[in-house]
Amino acid sequence: MERYVDSEGAGLLSAKVVATLPWVEKYRPKSLDEIINQEEVVASLKNILKTKAVPHMLFAGPPGVGKTATAHAFARDLFGPNYIEDGHFLEINASDERGIQTIREKVKMFARQIPMGGLGFKILLLDESDQLTDDAQHAFRRVMEQYSTTCRFILAANYSNRIIEPIQSRCAFFRFKPLTKNHIIQHLKWIAGEEGLSIDDAALEVIYDFSEGDMRRAINILQASAAMSKKIDEKLVYQVMGYVSRGEVRQILEKAIAGDFKGARDDVRRLLYVQGLTGSDIISAIYRELFYLNLPEEEKLELLDLLGEVDYRISEGATEEVQLMAFLARLAAKARRGKK
Amino acid sequence: MTQLWVEKYRPKRVAEVVGNKQSVQQFISWMRSWETGRPQKKAALLYGPAGVGKTSLVLAYGNEHGYDVVEVNASDWRDQEHMKSIVGSSSQQLTLQGTAKRIILVDEVDGIAGREDAGGLSALRRIIDETRVPIVMVANNPWDQRLATIRDRSLLIEFKRLSKTDIISRLREICRREGLECDEQVLRALAERAEGDLRSAINDLQAIAQGKKKVTVKDLEALGSRNRVKQIFEALRIIFNAKSLRSARAALEGLEVDLDTVYTWILDNAPLQIQRLDELADAMEVLARADLYLARMSREQKWRLMRYAVPLMTGGVALSRKTKPKGFVKFSFPDKIRFMQKTREERELLQSIARKVAAQLHLSSHKAMKYMVPFLRVIASSSTRNAEALAEYLSLSPKEVEYLAGKPLEAVAKASRGRRGGRSPSRG
Repeated sequence: MERYVDSEGAGLLSAKVVATLPWVEKYRPKSLDEIINQEEVVASLKNILKTKAVPHMLFAGPPGVGKTATAHAFARDLFGPNYIEDGHFLEINASDERGIQTIREKVKMFARQIPMGGLGFKILLLDESDQLTDDAQHAFRRVMEQYSTTCRFILAANYSNRIIEPIQSRCAFFRFKPLTKNHIIQHLKWIAGEEGLSIDDAALEVIYDFSEGDMRRAINILQASAAMSKKIDEKLVYQVMGYVSRGEVRQILEKAIAGDFKGARDDVRRLLYVQGLTGSDIISAIYRELFYLNLPEEEKLELLDLLGEVDYRISEGATEEVQLMAFLARLAAKARRGKK
Repeated sequence: MTQLWVEKYRPKRVAEVVGNKQSVQQFISWMRSWETGRPQKKAALLYGPAGVGKTSLVLAYGNEHGYDVVEVNASDWRDQEHMKSIVGSSSQQLTLQGTAKRIILVDEVDGIAGREDAGGLSALRRIIDETRVPIVMVANNPWDQRLATIRDRSLLIEFKRLSKTDIISRLREICRREGLECDEQVLRALAERAEGDLRSAINDLQAIAQGKKKVTVKDLEALGSRNRVKQIFEALRIIFNAKSLRSARAALEGLEVDLDTVYTWILDNAPLQIQRLDELADAMEVLARADLYLARMSREQKWRLMRYAVPLMTGGVALSRKTKPKGFVKFSFPDKIRFMQKTREERELLQSIARKVAAQLHLSSHKAMKYMVPFLRVIASSSTRNAEALAEYLSLSPKEVEYLAGKPLEAVAKASRGRRGGRSPSRG
């Protein structure tokens, strides 16, 4: 069996850890041949491998379809299994690195030296690059140009339209397709086999429904279920998802409807400041729940309109907490009027 | 520039320290125990409200008895070498330098507890254990949970607010030495508003007396209200009861509190003051509109937008409140601020976990928090084996694993044994 090395090469992990480490990591594709459902992308990348003429690249597509994994697999196939340890490849997450200045510094440090036995350039993966503001992207474009002889960039993004034109035009563009239900279920079955689980078809269906087409989420649900029992049925998956999502947003809406504005407000603060959700995460969850609320349809329509307003205000930079409170207070008022 | 009177008239001898006679005596005995051998506690924690003479006592004692008082701040503690040279971890060093007469003064330890991570405080704790010279810490509030281990190692000496008589007599003394003629009434008013804080009384006196020969009651008008919390309560009362946009807006004039803070106070008091839900919804909406103007203002640097935000967040809220609560509902300290204080530790723990997950799994920490942490919670709570493996893989601290599991690891073990016996006999 292959031994796993952690990303800093700090040492071998024990068998116990390998058996449990997040399966999204354990079953991450190691080479381009293991990438699922992105035949066109993989074919082009294999051509690049042959010529070793690596362009800047933009990987666009929904979450959990394999963009980051493909970038790693490509670098591994290009530079060999120690592609990270030997300094050929660096991953930076645009939404974590505060500001373009930090990114510039990191790129500078990384691109300054060319490792022995390499190809004369390194590869830098800028993940979640659509999180950069326009200004930061313009600055980044200059960084790309400045270092392009020694560093090739792979930008991964959910939304390619949020990447400015000048960057797009400097990159080879790869669009990643969403995974189909069949892909996800097949992959889950394969993992279940490797892990010696017994899982029935109904359970696989339910996991797929909860996954919303995101492989990472599907694998996480499978692993969380397996942690409870090696025999996985539909009921167990529901039970696990009950622990996972705990219906927090639904409870918040229920509190508001019951007239407990302060309770709802405190829960929103918890989600935002403790759990680290964003305002748009919460708004999306409210949107999903809104249609099922026990209110007259006209009221729901007005609330929907207000939710859209709140969503837009937040995108304009307004405070998430305050805007959500305005929505919840209105919901509480409408529910009260409905009762009278 | 003229010297500050609070510095100029700081007591040079212990006998000049105003009030708190018992605390002063306690401190003297503790210092004597250092001079005559081994003290029971190597550190003293002087605590109490601001401006009652805690730091002054230490400086006066040092001055009178020939001690070198060294003030250190939090960042110094981490520099172990530097600190060792100050606290003298070896007796040799002390005799060589010949500066055994030294007091280490650490100001505002409670402030540090709130700001610094645990590392700074544990460094301080080690220093107390190793020190060969007295360490005196000063705090307003010594009861912070984080200070528990420091408290255990320290002699606690409480300082109380000073009496008006004490303050008045000290002010009178300063007037005499400055050659200043001052109405008794002024001194009484200054002592009144100082609320036991001599430093603020001296500062106020200097502010109205500077460059004058005579101070009268009229000069008092130049002083703003000293008590900010009292000030903000008064502003809230005006805002929520305002009949016109003008009077509501005026409540913010001269308020020495930043707009964000005022906003938070109004935001969290609205649900208490406005009990009808439809009126509350209107109030929250104008607050949200005000917030939007403030956001646009700072985003686009259009400062004039402030003038729309202020009437919305003040008068707008007042106008939404058409029905007043029956009886008096008191204004209260914002829940938000309390919430953020209370959840601080948890927030830091979660963020640290998310960062570790992010680094290992090629994600941003936001995505790690949203997509991974909820599942890791289930996995960690399922069995000790899983919890320990996750801890090893992600290099989690014991505290972080227990947080993920939602319970101590012994409880995890017990629960998973129970489950194995029950629901899934096939496991294993």
